[in-house]
Amino acid sequence: MKKVITKISLRITILAIVILAGSFLGFKLVKKPLTSEEYPKTDQRISDKYSQGSLEESSNREGITKDTKPMPLYGNWQTFTKKNGLPADKAYCVRIDGDRVLVGTSAGLAVYENDKWRTYTVEDGLAHPGVLSIDVSELTGDVWIGTLGGLNRWSAGRFETFNQFNSGLANDVIYTVICDGKDVWVATGGGAGSYDTYTGQWGIYTERNAPMHEPWTYGVCAGGGKIFIAAWGGGVIEYTTKTQLFRDYIDPDGEMEIDLFTDDGVIHDITTGVTYADDILWVATYFGLSRYDGTRWKGYLDHDTGLISNFINFLKANGPVVWLCTDMGLCSFDGETWVTYQKKENSMEGKILITNGDDTKEIASSTSIAHEFVIGVDTQDDVIWISTSKGVSRGELLK
Amino acid sequence: MKKYLILIFIAGILIILVLARKPALNWSRQHVNYITAVEDHPLNCLSCHLYIQKEGIVAKLINADYLSPFNMAVSPDGSRLFVVAQEGNKLLVINTQTNKVIDKIDVGENPHSVIINNDGNTAFVSNQWADNIFEIDLSLLKIVDTIKTGSGPAGLALGADEKFLYVADSYSSEVSVIDLQTKTEIKRLMAGNNPVGTDISPAGNLLYITSRRTLPMPYGTPPMTELTVINTTTQRVKERKIFDNAYIMENVAFTPSGDMAIATLIRPKNLIPAIQIERGWMMTHGIGIIEPGDNGRIIQLLTDDPNSYYSDPFDIVITPDGEKAFVSHSGVDYITVIDLKAIRALLAESTPEMLDTYSNHLGISSRYVLKRIPTGANPKGLALSPEGEYLYVAERLEDRIAVISTEKMETINTIDLKGPSRITVARKGRRLLNNAGYTFHNQYACYTCHPDSHEDGLVYNMAGKDMGRNLANVQTLRDIGDIPPYKWNGKNSSIYKQDGMRFSTILTRTESFAFDELDALVAYIVTGIKNPPNLRYNPAGKLTAAQERGKKVFYRTHTNCGKEIPVKDRCFTCHPPPYFTNMLMVDVGTLSETDDYMLLDAPQLNNIYESAPYLHDGRAATLEELWTTYNDEDKHGVGNDMMKDQLNDLVEYLRSLRDAKYYIEDPEIYQASTHLKND
Repeated sequence: MKKVITKISLRITILAIVILAGSFLGFKLVKKPLTSEEYPKTDQRISDKYSQGSLEESSNREGITKDTKPMPLYGNWQTFTKKNGLPADKAYCVRIDGDRVLVGTSAGLAVYENDKWRTYTVEDGLAHPGVLSIDVSELTGDVWIGTLGGLNRWSAGRFETFNQFNSGLANDVIYTVICDGKDVWVATGGGAGSYDTYTGQWGIYTERNAPMHEPWTYGVCAGGGKIFIAAWGGGVIEYTTKTQLFRDYIDPDGEMEIDLFTDDGVIHDITTGVTYADDILWVATYFGLSRYDGTRWKGYLDHDTGLISNFINFLKANGPVVWLCTDMGLCSFDGETWVTYQKKENSMEGKILITNGDDTKEIASSTSIAHEFVIGVDTQDDVIWISTSKGVSRGELLK
Repeated sequence: MKKYLILIFIAGILIILVLARKPALNWSRQHVNYITAVEDHPLNCLSCHLYIQKEGIVAKLINADYLSPFNMAVSPDGSRLFVVAQEGNKLLVINTQTNKVIDKIDVGENPHSVIINNDGNTAFVSNQWADNIFEIDLSLLKIVDTIKTGSGPAGLALGADEKFLYVADSYSSEVSVIDLQTKTEIKRLMAGNNPVGTDISPAGNLLYITSRRTLPMPYGTPPMTELTVINTTTQRVKERKIFDNAYIMENVAFTPSGDMAIATLIRPKNLIPAIQIERGWMMTHGIGIIEPGDNGRIIQLLTDDPNSYYSDPFDIVITPDGEKAFVSHSGVDYITVIDLKAIRALLAESTPEMLDTYSNHLGISSRYVLKRIPTGANPKGLALSPEGEYLYVAERLEDRIAVISTEKMETINTIDLKGPSRITVARKGRRLLNNAGYTFHNQYACYTCHPDSHEDGLVYNMAGKDMGRNLANVQTLRDIGDIPPYKWNGKNSSIYKQDGMRFSTILTRTESFAFDELDALVAYIVTGIKNPPNLRYNPAGKLTAAQERGKKVFYRTHTNCGKEIPVKDRCFTCHPPPYFTNMLMVDVGTLSETDDYMLLDAPQLNNIYESAPYLHDGRAATLEELWTTYNDEDKHGVGNDMMKDQLNDLVEYLRSLRDAKYYIEDPEIYQASTHLKND
């Protein structure tokens, strides 16, 4: 049998590790730690109703504005749990649909409308109580619901169920569902799938017909005439709608434990979500965030950027801003500035961390998100909704 | 010498004929007895064999090209009536002053509906078998544009501002929204199952769309049919109104005030034994009333009388004063006139419980039925003149329009559309198939369970010797002439047997058809019922990549593991082209506890995409379920080795199957079936 590890390769590897470690230490030494004056004081509370002027003043002082469009800040958080109408505290996803908000929980679909919650369960036609993903067709207004037991189309009160037994759906565990014109795409435990609502044709995309490592897929998004699939162990799979051709983006260094070169490609092959806006593809992993502009990749890790945690459950881009749902709070990023929303321990109060380059500022908030384990997010106009492992929260844009 | 030889030859022939007469008669008798399942059907070769010719000179001579008026529209000034001739593929233009046809415009295949804009200068015609709409300039009487739609465009509605056209896509169960500026379809909204009829509310903000087939329901539950409500401002579905225990909702009309909309419907009792025919109700017919608004009620009232049913209600129109509604009953050749004041009074005084009772009350119609007006054969579409003084009735199987005075409530004139003057045998058969006069109390026609000569998507409990057993999923009548036997258990070796004595004994509970009527009915079923083109899944005969892959799965001889599939367990063994049935009986392991032991007739697969639910008792809601749920032991073909994507491909291929005539011309497929025979 051929010897896999030779002496020479071992030496080169050790040398590489030493060089990398040296570089890292150098970075740390050069990086100037924040002084106590530079850190915002803990009692430097600002009301969630503070004026735009004070925010701008604060922002300008800290240099976090970008061009003329400041990074949006949200506050006035209002939390909903089982106590005030949610069917369960564990909320997997949230989707704003005009005047109503749809929340996927572990015990059904909850709809918030006219200040009231209404729950839809299996008895109403839901495929499974565990609702993992929701999207609304811009064309028809139909709501597509991905559950742990199949896919629902919810149209004007009628639930239609698609599962792997009665349809061409790849698998009943639907992690993500999206609408792309007349097509619906799903990321499932048994491959990605497409459904043409005009022809009724289903497509299944797995390692059998696409450059995937295995059929497990977590996320899917559409943009720029392409479909992007977050494939477990397979990085990002790109499908060009016009040519019906696939290509993949995998981590070039192939490392599972560390990322040797942050900007060489997608940060890790185990991807958890994808989102596309403003010609930028954002990729979430449990090991950091990646950004792809069609030419270059850039990676973001928690130790050298404002990313609060590498463990990203879900992400969603809205214009230039990407929202990241992590295990340590909600994060937003516009390419320069990071804003993180966290909950203070054993308190109803929260805090906002604003990081621009090496500078981080903490602002106290009298209200906070429901929980720091954030699983879903959606924004529309001046409102943001997030789903967490202990309730959902609604925030308002601070002006 | 030559002369003698000729005489001897003739004498020989005569002797042979005389000697052969008795055996020939005996053979003929046995043959006719076998085919008809009776012993007294007249021995007349022509009565059977002449009229079932589908092609050739003889077929052309004995048949005729009828017009078959279906739906209509009146110009805003009332001067012209536009008639969709469904079989003639024409739009007929009638001068209502002279009651003469003044023009015939060729339109697409199997046109369904016509609508006129407010200015009266443009007509839109839906071509149900062409998946498009023709825009017709009425000043030129010429087609000026063609607009693509979903599958099976049927009912049409113009938005209040006439910027958008809404089309009920009857086969794909959607509503196409057409932008009339760009003449393109901008979106499709999910409708009920098999949507057809449309009407816009007087305020113009709501579009109601009826559907004919039940929504997919759990096995063994009554039908539930949807009336789709579209908000024309948002162009989204606002609401889905459900009619329990009802189906075949053909058309709907709003009252001028908009206080209610009324749809036609049928209330089938398919899950109770068919013995109920004699007990007074098996199929009842009536109207569904929708009160608009968030808390508006949905009420069902019958238009039948206790001992006389008015089957197959089709169209409904309401007079401009909102006082009368007219309903065409295509199964009994009558128009029912309904007093809407009486309806309003009844609704006002009735509790929900009372209304629930009325939905099955055969006597309640005396409260609101003003009159029954007889018509010619098979009245379908209705249209009122602008002032409401005249009602036009499309007598489909008469090629004629009846003109009824709405005040006198009687026919005052008829308009001959100048179709063929003779009634062919097949045409007579078609009339029989559409007429409920041969069923106990006129409860239903063949057409009732076989709308469009297809099937109604329901499962029936036929009253055999053991009631409640052997549920039967209704099968299509399309293109079945060459694929005996009939019934799921294959008991009927011919259509004669299927529709003769046994039919009357089990289904109609009346005298069976007379022999000449039976001949005519068989002639129509064998020659006159075609499959619609499969434009949704196979528009031009070129299979998609998925269908090609599915075709390979269908014709495969080895499993994914390389093991040879026994011949009896291959798809194409029981389902060879061109009809995709070998016409043999087989056990595919799908009998239930309520079934007697029997083998099942392998059904044809052409156009199977439009025949859900599947299996002999309708247990499988989708084609996928045939293999994911009801084929545990691989008795219905070896399939458990298939990957999910292979099953999807197979389903795509099955959906692509279309009329047998296409496969008869395809040597490749025939070769595959020949290969099987050699095996």
